Formats: sequence, C-alpha cells, structure tokens
Amino acid sequence: MNRLSLVGAVVAGLLAGSASAADLRVGFSQDALTLDPANHRKRETETIIRNLCDGLLTRDSAMNIVPEVAESYKQIDAKTWELKLRKGVKFHSGAVLTADDVKFTLDRLTRDNAMGGQTSPRKDLLGPVSGVDVIDPQTVRIRLSSPWPILPAMLPFQELVRKGFVEKAGSAALATQVDCVGPFKLVEWRRGDSIIMERFADYYGGSPAIPPVGPARVNRVVFRIIPENASRVAALLAGEVDLVNELPVSAIKQVDGSGRAKVMKANGTRSFFVAMNLDKKPFDDPRVRKALNHAIDRKLIIDRVLSGTAVPLNGVLSPQAFGFNPDLAEYKYDPVLAKKLLAEAGYGSGLALTIDAEGAFKDVAEAVASMLQRAGVKATVQVWEGAVLTPLWRDPAKRKDRDLYFTSWGNGSLDPSDIMLPTLRTGGRGNSAGFSSARVDQLLDAAEVELDPAKRKAMYFEAQSIVNAAAPWIFLWLPQDLYGVSNRVTGWTPSPDSRINLHRAAIK
Amino acid sequence: MGRIIDRLLQLGPVLLGVTVIVFLMITLTPGDPVEIMLGDMKSSPEQAEVLRRDMGLDRPPVERFFRFVGNALQGNFGLSFFHRRPVSEVIAERLPATIELTLAALLLSLLISIPLGALAAVHKGGWLDRTATVGSLLGVSLPGFWFGILLIMLFSVQLGVLPVSGRIGYGYEVPAVTGLLTIDTLLAGRLDSFLQALRHLALPAITLALPMAAPLMRVTRASMLDVLRSDYVTFAEAKGLSRRRVLWRHALKNALMPTVTIAALETGSLLGGNMIVESVFGWPGLGRLVVESIFARNYPLVQAAVLLYAVTYVLLNFIADVAYTLLNPRVRL
Amino acid sequence: MSAATDVAGTAIAARSPAAEGFARFLENRLAVACALVVLAMVLLAIGAPWFAPHDPNETDLLRRLQPPVWLDGGEWAFPLGCDALGRDLLSRLIHGARVSISVGTVVILFATVVGIAAGLLAGYLRGWVDTVISRIVDILLGFPYLIFAIGLMAMMGPGLHNVAITLIAKEWVVPCRLVRGETLAAREMEYVEAARAIGVGPFGIMIREILPNILSPVIVVATIRLAHVIILEASLSFLGLGVQPPIASWGSMVADGREFMLDAWWVSTFAGLAILVLVLAINVASQGLRDAFDPRFHD
Repeated sequence: MNRLSLVGAVVAGLLAGSASAADLRVGFSQDALTLDPANHRKRETETIIRNLCDGLLTRDSAMNIVPEVAESYKQIDAKTWELKLRKGVKFHSGAVLTADDVKFTLDRLTRDNAMGGQTSPRKDLLGPVSGVDVIDPQTVRIRLSSPWPILPAMLPFQELVRKGFVEKAGSAALATQVDCVGPFKLVEWRRGDSIIMERFADYYGGSPAIPPVGPARVNRVVFRIIPENASRVAALLAGEVDLVNELPVSAIKQVDGSGRAKVMKANGTRSFFVAMNLDKKPFDDPRVRKALNHAIDRKLIIDRVLSGTAVPLNGVLSPQAFGFNPDLAEYKYDPVLAKKLLAEAGYGSGLALTIDAEGAFKDVAEAVASMLQRAGVKATVQVWEGAVLTPLWRDPAKRKDRDLYFTSWGNGSLDPSDIMLPTLRTGGRGNSAGFSSARVDQLLDAAEVELDPAKRKAMYFEAQSIVNAAAPWIFLWLPQDLYGVSNRVTGWTPSPDSRINLHRAAIK
Repeated sequence: MGRIIDRLLQLGPVLLGVTVIVFLMITLTPGDPVEIMLGDMKSSPEQAEVLRRDMGLDRPPVERFFRFVGNALQGNFGLSFFHRRPVSEVIAERLPATIELTLAALLLSLLISIPLGALAAVHKGGWLDRTATVGSLLGVSLPGFWFGILLIMLFSVQLGVLPVSGRIGYGYEVPAVTGLLTIDTLLAGRLDSFLQALRHLALPAITLALPMAAPLMRVTRASMLDVLRSDYVTFAEAKGLSRRRVLWRHALKNALMPTVTIAALETGSLLGGNMIVESVFGWPGLGRLVVESIFARNYPLVQAAVLLYAVTYVLLNFIADVAYTLLNPRVRL
Repeated sequence: MSAATDVAGTAIAARSPAAEGFARFLENRLAVACALVVLAMVLLAIGAPWFAPHDPNETDLLRRLQPPVWLDGGEWAFPLGCDALGRDLLSRLIHGARVSISVGTVVILFATVVGIAAGLLAGYLRGWVDTVISRIVDILLGFPYLIFAIGLMAMMGPGLHNVAITLIAKEWVVPCRLVRGETLAAREMEYVEAARAIGVGPFGIMIREILPNILSPVIVVATIRLAHVIILEASLSFLGLGVQPPIASWGSMVADGREFMLDAWWVSTFAGLAILVLVLAINVASQGLRDAFDPRFHD
C-alpha cells in the first residue's frame, strides 16, 4: 500500500466505519449457535443459516409454501411424498447437488446418532418421516410412518448439506464451516461479533416463485451481533448497520423520524395470552374466567404500551394461520360486567391473584395487573427467570399453587397443529392452564392425519370455538415483528417467520 | 521458594471448593436446559429423552460430579449444551476479547492513576490533590451499567465519533496471531485496522478503567506520601541528589509496590465484573457468554468458566507476590 | 491504645483517640457536607410515604413516558416525568432510596458482624480454625462476584431478601480478612499478654480486649464497602435479579429505562444520578473518616 493511500485509509478509517456501496449490514440480536443446520433449535440461528443454505421448500413473504431447491412436489399416497429436484444446483465448492445429498441431509436429521454419534435436536420437526428413497438423481421419495398433511409446511425449516463434504470433513465440521447451495457463502465467522458472507456467483437463482431470480444483488452481507436493544437502534441511527431486527417498540418514533431509516412491520407468529390455573379455585368457575377477560382493555394496552403494533386475538391462532376462525366471540372490555360476574361467583371483593411473568414482559404484565385491579382484583406481578418459570408452569405438580401465567407460544409454520396441540390438547407440553376437553382432543387428533384441507379447516374451526367459549385464558394479542430498515435498502420485506432473507435485497 | 509452593498448593483446594460450590448451585437451581433447548417448536417426549441423554442429565448428580472432575483433570470439559461443540473450544474463541479488554482497562487505569497519585502526593493539599481525590471518588461511585449507556449515547449517537459496539469494523482483515486485535493488527503492519480496533476498544475500556483507577490512585498517593516521609528519601536529599531525581528514581519505585499488588488483585475482580460492560457494549467476550449461559442453564460452560476464573484469581495473587518481591529486593519470596 | 491507659493521668486532660479523630473529621467541611447529604437521604427514605407526592405504584397508561416539567408536555404535578407505565418518577425515586439504603445497611451490618467473628476466631485461635476459615475465604474470593450472585439468585429466586443474603455471602470476607490481619498483630501485644496472665479466657480476650482496638479500621472499611454494596445491589436489580415489581430499586429503574434512552432519557438518568449522588456522598464522607482516623495523615 503506497503512502498516500495509507494516509487516505487512515483518515477514512478515523472518520467513520467504512461501508462499501454494495454491502448490506444487519444489526442482529443474537449470534448463531452453530452453522450446522441440523444441530440447533434456535430461530435466530436459522435466520442466519438461511442466507447461506437453501432448503427443499421455502415460504414467500405472504407465508405461502413455494418450492426452492425442489422443482415440484406431490403426494403419491397417504404416506409417501415425491419431490423433483432442480438441475444444475451448485454448492459453494462447485459440486452439483443430487438426490443423494437430499437423502443424506434428511437421514442425518431423522436417524439416531447420524451426526457423528449425536442425534439431531431437530429430529422431531420431521415427525413421522421414516425414510428417504432416491428414485433417480433428480427425484426423491419421502416415506412417512403415518399420514402427515403438514410435511410441506415443515420442510421449509430444514436446509440442505453436501454429503461428500460431511463425509470428508466429519459431522462436527459443519458447526463452523459451510458448503451449501444458498445465495451467499461464508467468508468469516467472528464469534460473538459478526458473520461475514459474500455473494455466491454460481447461485442457481432461488425460487422462481419469488422474483427476481438470480445471484444476490449485494456483494456482501454482514450480520453484526448487537444484543443490547438500545445499542442496535443506535447503530441503525448512526448508519453503522442497514437493518435491525427486534426493534423495540420505544424506538419507533425515533427511527421513523430519523430521515435515514424507517420501521417495517410484519405480523408475528407468537401469540400472547395469560393462562389461568384451571385446577385451582377460583378459575374452575367460568364466570371468573369470563370476568377476567372482560376486565382487560386490550386496545388501550396495545395502543399505549405497544404503540399499536399488535393484533388483538380471541383465540390462539394468528389471523394468517391456516384454519383461523374469524368469527370467534370477543370478550369486550367491560369492567362493570367483570365486577358483576365476580360478585355472582362469590368473589366480589378481595380476590388476590399473582401473575407470573418473565422479566422481559414485566411492563405489559403490570399493565394487565393494573387493569385487573380496577375490576376489584388485587393483582400483582411476580417476575421470574425464564429458565425457572417455564418448567414450573409445564409441570402440573409444580404449578398447583400458582394463579396466572403471562406467556406466549410461537407458531412458525402458521399451521394450527404446531400450536394447538402443545397448548390446548390435554397434557400438551405448553398447556399451562391444564385445559382439557375431550371434544377438542378428538378434533385435534383427527386433524393431524386428515388430508382434505376443507375438512381439516372445519375441525380446527370447531376446536377454536370451543376454546373461545370456555375461556381457559385471558386472550391477549399477536405482536408484530418490528424491523428498522435504512432508506438505502430496497427489495426486502419482513416475513412473519422472522427470516431475514437477503437474496433479493439491494443497496441503492 | 516456600511461598511459591505455598501458593501452588493453595490452588488445589480452591479449585475443588469452587467446583463443589458450582455443582451444588447447579443441582439446587431450578430450571431445565432440555426444556429451554426444546423451546416451543414442535417436539416429542422422545426428542426430550434424546437431548437429555446427550447432555448427560439422565445421570444422578453425584455421578455427574465425579465424571466432570475426572474429565476436567484430563482437560476435557464436555460439550456445551447449546453450541453442541466442546466447551473448551467455545471458551477459547471468546477469551481473547475479554483478555484484550481487561488488559486495556488495566493499562488505562495505571496510566491515569500512577502519575496522578504521585503528583497528588508531591503537591499534597494542593488543587491537584483535591481534584484528583474527588475525581477518584467519582470514578468509584459511577454505576458502570448506567455510565456505559451514557457514553454510548454521547459519543456514538449524538457525536457519532465512536462506534456503538463490536470489536472492529467488519471490513478489516484481521490476521489472528494472539487474538488480541490491537496487537495482531500492529504485528501485521495494518495501521488502519489498528486504529479501528482502538476506536472500538475506547469506550468499554474507559468504562471499565474508571472504577479501578480510583483505588489505584489513592493507594499510589498514600504509599508515595509514606515514602516521601521516609528516612532514606531525606537521606538522599541530604546527599545532594536533585529533588526530581529523588522522586522519580527512588521514591516512585518503592511507592509502586502496593499499587502493583492491588492492581493484580483488582484485575481478578475485573474479570469477574466486566460482564456488565461486555453486555452494554456488545463486546464479544467471555463474560457475556457466561452470563447468557447461566440464564440458559448451560452447565458445562458455566462450570468450566468458573474454574477458569478461579485459576486466574490464584495466579494473579501469585503474580502480585512475585512483583512485590521484584520491586523490593529486601523482601524474600 | 484503649482509653483505659490514658487514666494514668496527665495534668492536661487528654481526649480519647476516638474523640480526637471525630474532631478532626468535623474540620473536613466537604466530608461533613457529604455526611449530611447521606443523612438527608436516609431521612427521605424513612419518611418516603410522606415525602413522595404520589403513590409510586399507581399506573396511568395515558401518562406513559411523560417528560419532566421543564420539557414540552411536562407538568408540575409530575416534576421528573413518568416511566413506561405512567408512574411518577419522583415518588419512585424517593421510595427507591428505601431499597438501596436498607439493603446496603443490612448487608454491611450482617457482613461486618460475621466477618468480625470469623476474623477474630481465625486470627486468634489459629490452627485448624484458621486454615478452614482462610480456605473458605480463598474459595469465595476466587469465585467471580457476578457469577456467584446470579447463580445464588437463580437458586433462591428473585426478591430483596435473597439479594441481601447473596450480597452478605460474598461481602463478609472483606471485614474478615481485615480483622484477621489486625488480630494476628494484636495477639502479640502486651495488653493481650497481660489479660492472658490474669486468666481471661480466649473469648474474653477476643471480645473485650482485641475487638475494641481494631474497631476503627473496621468501621472505616465498612463505610467504604457500603457504597460498593449499594452499587452491587443496583447491578443485580439492573440484571433483573433484584426487587420484585412493583417495588422500585434505583438499579431496576435504570434497567427499565434503558430501552427509552434515545428519547425518554429521564427514566434511566435520574435513577442513575441518584445512585451516583448517594454513593459519592458516602465515599467522600468515609474518605474523610479514614483521613481523620488514619495516623498517616496527621503529623
């Protein structure tokens, strides 16, 4: 480097963090745990990996399932699906993708000890997959042990790896090295600090259902890890990053008014509710449950505390989920009615309840508590560590003395199976209220294996109605995911599944 | 020689004691890493069992303890639950950042406290003395978490002269030799990268250095006062040596002993306390990782990290002893 | 030297070292001013329900993040503005003083008592008692503070009582080491020999002979550590491990307001300032105490 350019570089370096015109920097809230698509269960990790590795299927920003590396898919019979693969899909190392790689990826995910002695923690995301057959180099068949209509909805969660690479370098190498078919390839992973990727020139182009097709439009993508909310926003405002995820509600005004960035929203997939301990008095009385629902002014909390960035819910499903029932009854805000119902049930005065919540939701839980107080309930909030609170409310024995649980459940596939089974089926893992209805169980179990979408929908409709009438929870809302996006960025819209796919993003 | 052996012997029971405490805490602490890992994505009881077996949590605590100690003695600290990679690897990746930050803070606080302390002692009662004292008290009274946020708001957002977080801009090549970016960039002759590394280091190092500079300054001042009053200084002055020479050759060297001792000890507590600073500034160090691991119940990582800190603490005490001897040959080790 | 030895009688009535030191302290106007500030805060804390203009826990979503009175949108009724749930910041600050001061005082008190006991035993009895206690001290010191605190809090659950227990568990080693060192020196002194000669038992010696003579450095260190403990409690509350809502601790107020630093800076800033002022005042006052009692600083 000659002297003049050295001086220039020093001056430039001193003045600002430099950004080449064709680089996109993301201020991201968490580092990836690993770069092995099969060895983690964290959404944020998948978001990062998804830019490096494509899958058989994916979703567009309207959450429709579209083919990606697969060209098409069809159901052969109740327990077999066939996928045809595109030709000429290249890995970062130059090798061409064949059906063998697909079989290898899926086997690695679903067979015990297939990952160098470890079993994939994502195994159950592919539920009843019992085997994969290679029909020809461009065709695979997936066999199921029982009918599973949501296989296409679950495939977008898995990304493809190269058989030859894993066999040569070993399964553990995938944690830090990447040889995939995604639009970007890995340049460097600075742990805890940033992940640097650059455009893969031989990218097959991506899903034709999501234009434009072709290689990535930016040279490099950098995920900068900034866990502190305020720092992430500060980085966006200072021009150090072009996109931030998990924008806090409090920063909306700032970002919109900054002149260099704006706020973009997407309906989230995480439904919030307050579970009531149905095994404990007074929650066994439906009047009390309805009263608590009528006591909450959801609109006010959404407007004031969440700055309008949430959608009120009368059930557990997102309005964009398959089988969402739009005709559920709303428990209108009516503190007078609430007090009346409580008095009728014999709890006219002095009902003392505790709302358990994690620290992150302290504010909102306190807002809920203060509304309950206005209805005559002595409600207080108790803050717990997530690691303690979650197992506590999942175990009926441990939660028997608790009252209310401010919580949420995610539904990344936007399919009711993924969320209603855990939260509302008898004995479900996330069924903290202890809700149990034989009819709902029957409906949910039947819908699991029902292949006719219209019939499935009807079953879920009925299940939602029953739950809505029984009110095992105080129904709350579905928050939107907020992103801060610099005005330099075009071609990107947020997606409800929290993916940040930068293939088609460009810098102006 | 006896002291060295003494110190090293001290290492054994301390490490064992620390390990026992950690294990007890882990066993008695509610929270299930398997549940945390499963999250609320689709999962089955079989998956939970597989994970539990993988993490070794299906064994009773006593067996896990002896297994851990046995493995640890061979240098194997197990797999991190969430990274699913060896703990030693994960820690080694994050350690250089913490070391760099700690050393920078130490250097900075010594640079501030020693001259200030010495000058304050020489001009005792003067305005410098009083300002330095109040300044040092201020440094020790600032809550680090609050002060760090203020610094970011001022220098990064309002003035825009320093970066918000991270260790270095992504566009800079960093040939890894020691893992300490400032040293590596200098070794490679990359001046622009070096400057970037310094810019990123500035705010977190200042936030970390201020509370440490305060006691160091007071100790330097106090021991300098002692030395200035002592016989051999008066003797040296009587011999006709210039005051300046007396001060900076003889007095300071002897006055530094307690400073160095305390600096070594404070570094130990720095390592334990920089977690908050690392979190506020997004510094990718070990402290932040350990705090996250405690909240996520990532037991193997926490166990290994605690052991690491304990070893460091004992070693630093040892260094303090050795430094004390070197600076004052009259004290035998 | 205990006051008893002064009775030997001199024509001029000599004051005891304690009174001497105290007089010297009073001459240091800055330190006295700071001590008064601390006193004022203590009184404010005790009388919080009367001094606070509003109920610190009363929420009003319509007042969410209202600015202080000197900014647009502020009003005199809520002079320092409101937090994210519309609660009056001034009232929360005054009540928060209770938390900081009471936790700090309780922790220092208990830690000092335990530390003195352990230090006396270790320093005077020596032998295996000393070895055990010193090992425990070493192990506790080798444990990084924050990990210990988080771990203990995770074990016991959040809440003020558990914060106090956690802080005491780490803090007692400070006075213990000091007392042990002083006891080691004191046990060789003549007055101890004399007491032993007339048959005073070990506990009598420790409590009646040694303790009064080592008390002053212990008190000075205790006041210095008080400031430290207050910051530690704030740090734990900042991490979410301290007080339970709706109680406000200054540390938790800084944490709550962190999100809004960019536009509603008042939520965090005043709480942080409160910590700073209290801790600074304690530090200056205790520095003055140390200067007054430390023989190095007067000729």
